[in-house]
Amino acid sequence: MSEPETTHLVRTTINDEPYERVVQARQLLVHFIRDTLALKGTHIGCDTGNCGACTVLYDGQPIKSCMMLAVQADGASIETVESLSQPGGELDELQRAFNDQHAVQCGWCTPGMLMQAKALLERDGDPDVETIRRTLKGNLCRCTGYVNIVRAIQDAAGQPVTAGTRPEDRA
Amino acid sequence: MSVDTTAAPTRRSSSVGQSVRRVEDGRLLQGQGVFSDDVYMRRQGFVHFVRSPYAHARIVSVDVSRAERMDGVYATLTGEEVQELCEPFPQIAPEPGGRLRDYPLAVGKARFVGDPVAAVLAETRELARDAAEAVEVVYEPLPAVVDALAAVAEGAPVLHEEIGANVGYQDTYEWGDVGWALEHADHVVEIDRLHFHRFSSTPLECNAAVVDWDRGTGVVEVRSNNQMPQFAAMFIAPTIGIPVSKMHFISQDIGGAFGLKVTSYPAIAACMLLSRKAGRPAKWTEYRSEHVAASGHGNERTFTDIRVPVMSDGTILGFDAKAHDDCGAFMRYEPLGGVIWAQVAPGCYKLKHLRLEYTAVLTNKCPVAPNRGYSRLQHLWMIERVVDLVAHELGFDPVELRKRNYPQADEYPYETPNGCIYDSGDLPRMLDLALDLADYAGWRERQAATAGSGRRIGIGIGSTLDSGTNNFGQARLINKDLPFSGNGEAAIVKLDLHGEIAVNLGSSPQGQGHETTAAQTVADVLGVDPVEIQVKPGYDTASHAYVAFSGTYASQFAVTGLGAAQGAAERLAAEIRLVAATVLGVEQDEIELEGGFARVRGDLERAIPFQGIANYVYANVAALPPEVADRVSLTCRYVYRPPFEIPDVDSKRGELTLTYAAQIHLAVVAIDEATGRTEILEYVAIDDCGRRINPQIVEGQVHGAAAHGIGAALHEAFVYDQASGQLLSGNFYDYHAATALDVPLMLTGEIESPSPRTPNGAKGMGEGGGAPLGTLCAALQDALGPGGATVTDTHNPSERVWRLLHRSDEASRAVRVASRS
Amino acid sequence: MLVKQLTYARPESLAEAIDLLAAHTGTRPLAGGQSIVNVLKLRAAEVDGLVDISRLAELRTIALEGDALAIGAGVRYAELAADALIGDRHRKVAEVADGTVDVQVRNRGTLGGNVCFNDPTSNFPPLLVALGATIRIVGPAGSREVAAEDFFLGPFRCDLGVGELVHSVLLAPLAAGAGVGYQTLQIARDSWALARAAAWVRYDGTIRDARVVVACLGPKPARQPRIEAALVGTDGSEDAVAAAVAEPVEDVDAVGDSHASAEYRLQMARAQAALAVREALEQAGGTP
Repeated sequence: MSEPETTHLVRTTINDEPYERVVQARQLLVHFIRDTLALKGTHIGCDTGNCGACTVLYDGQPIKSCMMLAVQADGASIETVESLSQPGGELDELQRAFNDQHAVQCGWCTPGMLMQAKALLERDGDPDVETIRRTLKGNLCRCTGYVNIVRAIQDAAGQPVTAGTRPEDRA
Repeated sequence: MSVDTTAAPTRRSSSVGQSVRRVEDGRLLQGQGVFSDDVYMRRQGFVHFVRSPYAHARIVSVDVSRAERMDGVYATLTGEEVQELCEPFPQIAPEPGGRLRDYPLAVGKARFVGDPVAAVLAETRELARDAAEAVEVVYEPLPAVVDALAAVAEGAPVLHEEIGANVGYQDTYEWGDVGWALEHADHVVEIDRLHFHRFSSTPLECNAAVVDWDRGTGVVEVRSNNQMPQFAAMFIAPTIGIPVSKMHFISQDIGGAFGLKVTSYPAIAACMLLSRKAGRPAKWTEYRSEHVAASGHGNERTFTDIRVPVMSDGTILGFDAKAHDDCGAFMRYEPLGGVIWAQVAPGCYKLKHLRLEYTAVLTNKCPVAPNRGYSRLQHLWMIERVVDLVAHELGFDPVELRKRNYPQADEYPYETPNGCIYDSGDLPRMLDLALDLADYAGWRERQAATAGSGRRIGIGIGSTLDSGTNNFGQARLINKDLPFSGNGEAAIVKLDLHGEIAVNLGSSPQGQGHETTAAQTVADVLGVDPVEIQVKPGYDTASHAYVAFSGTYASQFAVTGLGAAQGAAERLAAEIRLVAATVLGVEQDEIELEGGFARVRGDLERAIPFQGIANYVYANVAALPPEVADRVSLTCRYVYRPPFEIPDVDSKRGELTLTYAAQIHLAVVAIDEATGRTEILEYVAIDDCGRRINPQIVEGQVHGAAAHGIGAALHEAFVYDQASGQLLSGNFYDYHAATALDVPLMLTGEIESPSPRTPNGAKGMGEGGGAPLGTLCAALQDALGPGGATVTDTHNPSERVWRLLHRSDEASRAVRVASRS
Repeated sequence: MLVKQLTYARPESLAEAIDLLAAHTGTRPLAGGQSIVNVLKLRAAEVDGLVDISRLAELRTIALEGDALAIGAGVRYAELAADALIGDRHRKVAEVADGTVDVQVRNRGTLGGNVCFNDPTSNFPPLLVALGATIRIVGPAGSREVAAEDFFLGPFRCDLGVGELVHSVLLAPLAAGAGVGYQTLQIARDSWALARAAAWVRYDGTIRDARVVVACLGPKPARQPRIEAALVGTDGSEDAVAAAVAEPVEDVDAVGDSHASAEYRLQMARAQAALAVREALEQAGGTP
């Protein structure tokens, strides 16, 4: 990609599957994922990179796919929410925890939250509550008020679920 | 007629009342939801709207020729075309406000920044965006007005010449005898101004639609996330001139709505016109900056000349006030806000003498939509602020004053001065729970200890109601010619060919878990586990039951939607019992439904599985006596209808809502004196929504509603430049939607006061009532202390708090007390 | 939210990048993209194309040059926050990096991008001025160095010519008796900044030297020579600091907007400056 061009051939891996596509330089990564590859799980919630609904893992790290061009996926390995469970298969432990703790309402922020949570638990298997909240700062939710999402991450980490409970009420 | 049963069915426990795990989660957690932007239609074009950069301007000309010449552009649409093709949208307001002309695109004038003046349909999103830039619009800017009081003052620029003034609706509501109360009260507390600011719930998914006007059948398919499709259909039909029956609305998953996806019908109508013109589907996905500028805002309401008669023992007799409600540039769900506040006219209190002069004002701002808590939020906040200020000014304890003026538990059902019935409740007990959960006494001690430290602690209480299940007859109090009354929701519950239980609903859920709670409700009636119930996701006018009020809004699903599901399930249960009784040769009342079987009570061997019942009705009909076969279809539709009458237009009295959920919140804040920064140290929310169908889902709604309120109270505001009318907080860069760091890990508690008026004892509760707004104002007021400035605005970011702290002169104390000696 | 038509190139070396930027003057470097992609989406500015420098190893080193720390312009916030050398020698840089926006931005955004963008509300420019940092620039004419204080010219403008790139940021070691303070007043809990102040002092019971910088008050971070002069020679007590910070704030052009008025911003900058000085004194060896 040494010459400035308006289109490039991009070779990328998404959810362990290799793709080769010619893309417009102007196309955002999130539109490549949603429109070109028809992976609809990653969502768009804003214009300015503030909401995090588009969060995917790029070489294992959470990034906002609306703040990256599709051409930058060249040579990278990307994971989206569709990688968490197999078609027709079971939900993974993190997804199970989100279901158990009612951390999903409308589901728009959920894929971004899951990828963020997955990366967090891989970095830090036993995060404290403040770390969890801080990690979620870049992922907006307008339905849940975040409390149950924090609970779900505690649950997935194998911790007692204490967020939003009084110390004396905790088991 | 004998049947083989291989296993004896077992008794199961009730599902309603359990925190059954949500069935929606399976697909949403896998990213397999189907939201409107996920929909792809063959040959679709992408829509981009050209929008006014001016708050107020005459549209001199719109030239689409350059855009049309661009490769990949399929069609364009202008206001001039729209005016030829369409009638203006029906208006709810009576004359003169109802003369306002609202079209799918701006006609003649642009009236707010973001008002769509043209649209382009093109092969890709990017091309549509590029082509929109090539549309040349010549504007003649006009003076703009973005303050409601300025808009009704002499000489203000007029938005709609057909009305002649910026008043969309005006009326005075009065019950009891306010004059008597003001004259005979021991004290009259006078408050100059209370201001409820402009904000919205900003669902994370913006509006979207894929619209296909089929040239062959004339049917318009609309795959949108509109949350009240029948309302949209009833507005679009006369405008475009197509029958409602030719509009096919479908949605599956909606990424939050909070009332803001009720008023998307103008954009959907524009997409219909584009699709018809181009002969291909039109796909529109709203961008966040468009949503923020031009979809819908919550109502901004300014209360002035507030007078509150109070007796020396703390009994508050009522209030007299003026309200100017800023509707923005058009009235779409308005001016229903002009009566909807009356559902909670006395708020949480036994106020008897009320007068409110209400004016719905048009300004050059985004049109309002019925944002979460619509119109009750504003009124309830005003009353809560009044009660808090009465406590401060007259030296009453804020807890005791509230308890004195709440209806007591034994006074329910409680009739308000305007004939609304508060169905059940126990506010004093909820308040005690809040105080206990928060360790109120402990916080008062800690508060005393921080005095003089540069950091002040404030403790505040907020009470609110969530009135649910509207009587649409209240629309007649606004406009007596509107042929609306009552309410209803529809559902179909059926046995499928192999006895599977399937349900579809008239609601358009946006995350409230309707599939799950409907399954719980139907499961209990039919005696099975909720996992046996298949609720069809989303909404589809071709196959779902619906009435005009169908949709998901106004805190009613737990009553209307589940009432419909319950009614339909009961009809189906009766049919199943009839078939089983006929086949087994017993009376119908000897049949019980349990574990997927219809069986004879006390003789469990004599049972028919639901598969057998279905077989008789669908495939084995000659085996049933004709008089039985004639009476069963196993597809049962039911419309739940709350027992409303039409309110009295002259006295403005009547039952306006069926149920009243309540929330009481308590907040402890710490304010940094140097900067005015407010930190929430503790937050407690107690709710009462009657019978909780699914406690975990209820708690989730309490959390979410509180987060919206906290965000609005401290961080979120739509700010317009007064001179130019430009929206300064135009996207999430500047409009700070509350993050996980901003929303505290709140504690929740609950009581259940079942409603005596609903089929299941539940009350709608999804909107919440905006308690944080009053709670945080009260906490700030408490921190400011005696003699401190008055908190008069719902929105208190750092700078406002800093000014309240440091400007304690008389001018900032907007409250006076006149006492009878 | 859609980007206009543009070109994209990803050169394999720094030299190639400089050549491309010089040859195609309508192109701009793409590093983390957390600012420039937003600018292009909002159509606040236009470029003919982007030259992707985000993977250039030459820009991504952190090393000692003598006793100065050289931080590559392409190092990301998350890497700055975790780096042992930085944590050891300039802990405040690691802290400020760790507090930048959110996880996703920290995984992509770079120090060089931050410095070049020079958003008036941004976090690194005032800190780098207070630390007396040097910006090393490479371009067609070779390499040059500019003091941070002279590098930031105005909102979204810095001292870079055609084809030039920031190569690295050089930080002299913190001497014994030196301390750094950094304070911010933000909207909400950790959102946009309304006022920032950075302070560096040399202190041994008497303040020997001071640099006090305020930001969010105008086009660029502004050193406060009057406040600095008022601090030097004092014992650094709370009263001395308060008196110094009461000196007129210079070289600012506070503007009101939807978040705060000019007056509030000015007052808050003072409040943050006082806190930053006290924090620096504490690090330097305790507050009297």
